[in-house]
Amino acid sequence: MAESPEVGIILAVIVAMIVFTAINPLFIHVSELQNLGIDLAGFGILAVGESLAIITGGIDLSVGSLTAFFVVVSAWLNTTAGLPVLLAFAVAILFGALWGLFHGLVITKLGVPPFVVTLVTFIFAAGADEAIAPNPIPISSTTFFAVAGSTVAGVPIAMIVFVVIALVAWFFLERTYIGRQVYAVGGSTEAARLAGIPIHRRIITAYVVSGACAAIVGIIEASRLTSGTADSVSGWELIAIASAVIGGASLAGGQGRIIGVVAGAALLVVLSDGLIFVDVNPYYQRMVVGVVLFVAIVVDRLRVRRLERLGGRTGLEVGTDPGGGGQSAPSVVETS
Amino acid sequence: MDTGEDLVLTGVHKLYGPAVVLDLDHVVLRRGEVVGLIGENGAGKSTMMGVVAGSVTPNAGTVSIAGNLLGAGGTLEAQELGVAMVSQEFPLVGQLSVTENLLLGRRASERRVLLDRRAMDDAAKGMLATVGLDVQVRRRVDSLSVAQRQMLEIAKALGRKPHVLILDEPTSALGPGESARVLELARQHATGGGVVIFVGHRLHEVREVADRIIVLRNGKLVADLTPAEATEQRLVREMVGMEILTGEGIAAPAAGATLAFEARALEAEGLGPLDLTLRHGEVVGIAGLMGSGRSRLLHVVMGARASTHGTMELDGANYHPHSPLDAVNAGVGLVPEDRKSQALLIDASIRWNVTLAILRRISLRRFLLTPAADRREAAGIVKRARVRCRTPEQPAGSLSGGNQQRMIFGRWMAARPRLLLLDEPTRGVDVGAKAEIYKLIEESRKEGMAILVASSELEELIGICHRIVVLRRGRITAQLERSEFSKERIIAAAAIDRAAA
Repeated sequence: MAESPEVGIILAVIVAMIVFTAINPLFIHVSELQNLGIDLAGFGILAVGESLAIITGGIDLSVGSLTAFFVVVSAWLNTTAGLPVLLAFAVAILFGALWGLFHGLVITKLGVPPFVVTLVTFIFAAGADEAIAPNPIPISSTTFFAVAGSTVAGVPIAMIVFVVIALVAWFFLERTYIGRQVYAVGGSTEAARLAGIPIHRRIITAYVVSGACAAIVGIIEASRLTSGTADSVSGWELIAIASAVIGGASLAGGQGRIIGVVAGAALLVVLSDGLIFVDVNPYYQRMVVGVVLFVAIVVDRLRVRRLERLGGRTGLEVGTDPGGGGQSAPSVVETS
Repeated sequence: MDTGEDLVLTGVHKLYGPAVVLDLDHVVLRRGEVVGLIGENGAGKSTMMGVVAGSVTPNAGTVSIAGNLLGAGGTLEAQELGVAMVSQEFPLVGQLSVTENLLLGRRASERRVLLDRRAMDDAAKGMLATVGLDVQVRRRVDSLSVAQRQMLEIAKALGRKPHVLILDEPTSALGPGESARVLELARQHATGGGVVIFVGHRLHEVREVADRIIVLRNGKLVADLTPAEATEQRLVREMVGMEILTGEGIAAPAAGATLAFEARALEAEGLGPLDLTLRHGEVVGIAGLMGSGRSRLLHVVMGARASTHGTMELDGANYHPHSPLDAVNAGVGLVPEDRKSQALLIDASIRWNVTLAILRRISLRRFLLTPAADRREAAGIVKRARVRCRTPEQPAGSLSGGNQQRMIFGRWMAARPRLLLLDEPTRGVDVGAKAEIYKLIEESRKEGMAILVASSELEELIGICHRIVVLRRGRITAQLERSEFSKERIIAAAAIDRAAA
């Protein structure tokens, strides 16, 4: 139980907040926090969907360009096709889910590696958004603007959407038997299959959620940009993957908790926004993100190694107390 | 100076954290000798072999091979000094061919740059012939069975022309015929002037092949015996430090027990047609050489492999599984052969592992998995299957092999199947754990489960089964009742073609 990585990441977020505030106290001004919240909503929702794919032992590379695609598609559905805003949102999200369903079916029924099929659709979507919107599609609906522009009790609506999605994902993974089975599929697909788990359905579910999440983030970004502009976001799939990995999800599958993934996304957002805020050159921001990711990976490896040393892949019965390691954070979150 | 002392370990000491896993004073192995090495899991066998093979660096002490001190150069240096090890986890590259694996890191001909495929294939064929393995050298290794890979691994080790040959439970994946071949190869190697360390879990094999048997317990050498001294009782006593009994006589199933499972004219790729029945409370064994279809039969019944013909019934109801999910829903469970790749969630907790097959049942409204119910069920299963652990929250990978196997048993006992399929249920577990697994089988049987056990260990089948079915090339060649059990009859039926008895 002393082995949860989540606590360390949460502490890192708090430390980063304190450091940026110390440099410039305006960092925790309401309007800046609201900006932070909207940024976090985008990265966080993507990261939650991505983490499901990662937990099954796969990966969803498409989410970055899929998000850009849905920036255009949601605007197109509302402005060009003339659908009412909420219906346009529903259609976009359904479309995202179907896109994920396609990933899931190709992966499970055809046996194509997740990396390959989602790379292919990544490229396809990157082209498709420009085909649909060679010129930005303007948005005029105020309801559409409200997603990223309005707040409830000071909290941006996008942020509320993110919190709801994170809670639902947490509940699904940790409080339903299907969630546990998703972990089992990632832990060992063959063991899960022989234990009577419908592995195809579980894998497909993960990609459907990931696709739907990309569509939701597309809507949020379109709202923020007030238009459906092609190529509006890039590289977000890497941030989503990085958030999951920093938060303790194993790329080998079977591990990772929503609380860690959310904390991972928060850390990346606080760092990138904070560095802009204290006027650090944008070049350095990416370098910092790279360094943070590297540190997270190294810490994770050290943790695994320590477990192995203590845990005796040697066939040794563990009788000693694994606690008391200097670098491990005290546990308040239980590993499950 | 030649004293014939070829491998000498002096004062070798190895610690993992605070635990002493190996503490050897002075161990000498001479050329021309097959030394049997036995001990329970965790007794230090793997560590001792690791020290000799250079993969484990001892905290203190020296290893000398043919007069040369093994330095800190790791496995490469040990290899150069003539050590070859056949480990239980085969370091084979699945995507490469048999030839490529056999000659990995070596060159078959004088050509310096380009690979000479024909020369390589010829060299590989020669190596396979030595061990009596009959497979195409261009086949990909991941298409081979576990047993074939084991033989391939042995061929690879022998191909290095080693001086010290370490065999780590080389027969655990093999049937009787191949096992005999491996013992013969070990003897030949010693006769040719080499040293063989033979780590075994089948005591009779170790006694048969070894000139000397050393026993480790808690990292210490507790006995060094001649074959004459090393009766099975004595070996077991030295290993566990006390007397235990195995293969106790089992009670017959209740008279008039109803039919639990019936297969008629069952066929699948490489299997059948065959007929098979099991009653409630009956334990039926499946014997056969490697490739005879033992595992295949279990996988077909589990729905993990498609049947192509025939019918199956469970408690009189038609049973036609398309997936293991169908099988679980119909009340069938499988403890698979390869624990690591087919049964364990190795990084997950014991709790996650034991409740895996009953998640839906223990969930509130068949949906909500509450932590309380999950913990309660897990604690119950751990207790019932006698998994020894600090807490059900520790990772499954931290358990010894025998404990892991009991954990998987617990998983399926909790599912309360009508038919429990066991594939090599005691593979890679030590003597003490074996006896406990037999106890679990007996308990499940008493509750009325029908149990179908596939095993390559005849003693095991003879010890625990009411009836033994012998397979050869996917067909049943003999069905023996308990009164008719004998190793000779089983081996004959497994190895020799004749009309079904």
